[in-house]
Amino acid sequence: MTERRLALVGVALLVAACVERLTAPGDCPDFCPSNQITIVDTLLTSSINRDSSYRGYVLAHEAALMLAAHIPGATDTLDGRPVFRINGFGGRFVLSATDTGAILGADSARLKLVILRRDTATHNLRLQFYRLPITIDTGTTFGSVAGPFTDSLVRTVNIDTLLAQPGRKDPVMGDSVVSDDTVSHQLVVSLKLDSAAARYVATDSGTVAYGIRIAADTLASIAFGKGTFGPVLQWYLRVDSLGTPVARTPAALAAAFASFVFAPTPAPLDSTLAVGGVPSARSLLRVAFPKFIRDSSQIIRGTLFLVPAVAARGAPADSFVIEARTVFADFGGKSPIDTRLGDTTVIHVGATDTVKIEVTNLLQLWAADSTHPTIFVLRPQAEAQFFGEIRFYPSVAAAFRPTLQITFVRRFPFGVP
Amino acid sequence: MRRADRWTDGPAVGTALVALALLIAGPAVRLSAQDSQFGIRGLGTPGRWESVRSRSTGGAFAPFDPLSPLTEAPLADIGQLTATAVGGTSHRDVAVGGTTTALRATRFPVMVVAGPVRPRLAVAAGFTTYLDKSWDVTLRDSLLLRGVLQRYTDEVTSDGSVADVRFAAAGRVSRRLAIGAALHVLAGSTRETAERRFDDTTFHTVRQSAEVRYDGFGVSGSVLLGLAPGLSIVGWARSDNRLRATVADTTSAMTDLPRMAGGGLLFAPSPSARFAASAAWRSWSTAGAGAFDTWTWSAGAEFGSRRMPIRLGARGGQFPFGPGTKAPTEAAASVGTGRAFAQGRALIDLGLERLERRGGGLTERVWTVLVGLTVRP
Repeated sequence: MTERRLALVGVALLVAACVERLTAPGDCPDFCPSNQITIVDTLLTSSINRDSSYRGYVLAHEAALMLAAHIPGATDTLDGRPVFRINGFGGRFVLSATDTGAILGADSARLKLVILRRDTATHNLRLQFYRLPITIDTGTTFGSVAGPFTDSLVRTVNIDTLLAQPGRKDPVMGDSVVSDDTVSHQLVVSLKLDSAAARYVATDSGTVAYGIRIAADTLASIAFGKGTFGPVLQWYLRVDSLGTPVARTPAALAAAFASFVFAPTPAPLDSTLAVGGVPSARSLLRVAFPKFIRDSSQIIRGTLFLVPAVAARGAPADSFVIEARTVFADFGGKSPIDTRLGDTTVIHVGATDTVKIEVTNLLQLWAADSTHPTIFVLRPQAEAQFFGEIRFYPSVAAAFRPTLQITFVRRFPFGVP
Repeated sequence: MRRADRWTDGPAVGTALVALALLIAGPAVRLSAQDSQFGIRGLGTPGRWESVRSRSTGGAFAPFDPLSPLTEAPLADIGQLTATAVGGTSHRDVAVGGTTTALRATRFPVMVVAGPVRPRLAVAAGFTTYLDKSWDVTLRDSLLLRGVLQRYTDEVTSDGSVADVRFAAAGRVSRRLAIGAALHVLAGSTRETAERRFDDTTFHTVRQSAEVRYDGFGVSGSVLLGLAPGLSIVGWARSDNRLRATVADTTSAMTDLPRMAGGGLLFAPSPSARFAASAAWRSWSTAGAGAFDTWTWSAGAEFGSRRMPIRLGARGGQFPFGPGTKAPTEAAASVGTGRAFAQGRALIDLGLERLERRGGGLTERVWTVLVGLTVRP
């Protein structure tokens, strides 16, 4: 019995003791490994070539937002105006399963808009609503609707005044606003339109179109939601029911078309590397990735340096993010973008400082996959959702060309005593 | 007594076999000796080719112990098929530069199976640690990078060992003389990693790793001579060629390995008292800079019956790797005991060793608890 216990205790002791703790501070060089991690930092000044820019990836009507701005500048004014069209119910309204009635008109309507982005430092923000031709479409330009934007004002609302009202409701005009300032600064604006502002014209099938101009004490720039974020119109109709007008409140209607027009239009592309703007521009930078870095090292940091050729343009309050990505194949402007990895930086409008983008992830991808094209694509992270655009010096500008700084580690000499 | 033996005959041997299986079932990287910070800059920490019985006597009995893979000639008297395995847990305090770090490791450094194949011929196979290469070093430092002083933490680790796979044979030439020889295949691997974490996380963490494989070859021979009843001497020699390190099938280093020789004296004036002393020389300086030739000595005694003896011993000498121009020194004292059961067919040996290594401003103090299991089915 004693022997068996002794055996079991011995084995149990050993098994219980199978916990290693070998980590000790190194006292170098005497009691450290003879080899050390070697780090190399190199600036590649001529590895980026054959760069070019392309525009037209996301157009205004394809953007996720409707941009509104009124930014007076030294030479011109940045003016952005959302435009949208809401199709109606037609000339007749379904009263029951077996009966329809002619739509006589509308008593009123309620228009709901969502302001998804705004500068909380902007005060006395005013929205002016204009009736536009219901023919507005993707071909509508700033100039083509300049007339209605001058003579067809139907409604004005002061957002700051509305926010200051008790309960954020205007009992006279019937407007209200819901604010979620603590989280996203979003505002849900609900406006009552009287029968003059919201005319249900049966011959137009009830289709209406509006445009918005904004103004403020300071630089005004906001973005309205579209799609699931509005605009939405709730009609309050009068329908003929066997000779008797009856009131009907049908389901709210979303915009069939939502876009924005703006001026001035972006300057034509030149030899510089343009990123951003509307329609959005992207730039491609082809990199001769050194073989000695790709094959025998681990990249721990890579930074792309870009020198702006001109100060970044756009609404001053709307800093925008540009991102560097790589592509699956080099088809020029139509190169399919590899969205798995990307690195970003923030561009401040008006700044001319050298822009640095940490591209470590992309360089590591290139090092790991030698078949991957070594091309950077620079594009806005949210395309056509900002007016901001920046232009960098291209590789042909020898003194200011894009450069790449790479910090890498040589292969550790394992197995060498 | 007979009753106890009868009871232990079955379950006790079974327990011993299970314990032996557990000891040898550990992963290969654990089949190594006790580590040392002195080995980090050198080839590693040389193993101790001793059973628990021998190690409990300071290593003095190792040249006469058929289950210690140091010499071959004593195998001639093994008598029956025998298997043994050793496990040890060490608690090591490393003191350097005013700081002390407590480390712990568990190792299974010896496994031997031996038995007679002819009346005068016995063979053995097994493995032991040739070089332990398990360590983990961290370091805080800084470097100027992109014009900014960047602070970082390095961690370089090695986990593994080089095993000595031995095939030995021994024969008794005469009543007084036994000889033996062995082939040694050195094989093993280490998983090595190098990591650097910058305080500034803009710099990604450096993490590289590799599997380093080692191989080598050696031969050894020994002679055991009975001078008189109860008095024996043994002499042994060994030569290994080189240790080749390969990473991804590419040779990264070739290091010459030492020649070594040693001898010992065993004196057993009575069946209940045995004394031994031994010494060995190893030409580790062939391994390159920072390596030194070493002398080691040991003396020990074993008292009492073989069924439950008391063992003690001491040893001293030099450690082959270290900074400076002088080899670090090491000294140890050990005690142990054992217990035979199942009519001597199973043995448990326990040992406790206190070791101290000094050199280059570093002092290592190690407590090692050893457990050995031997079965003779």
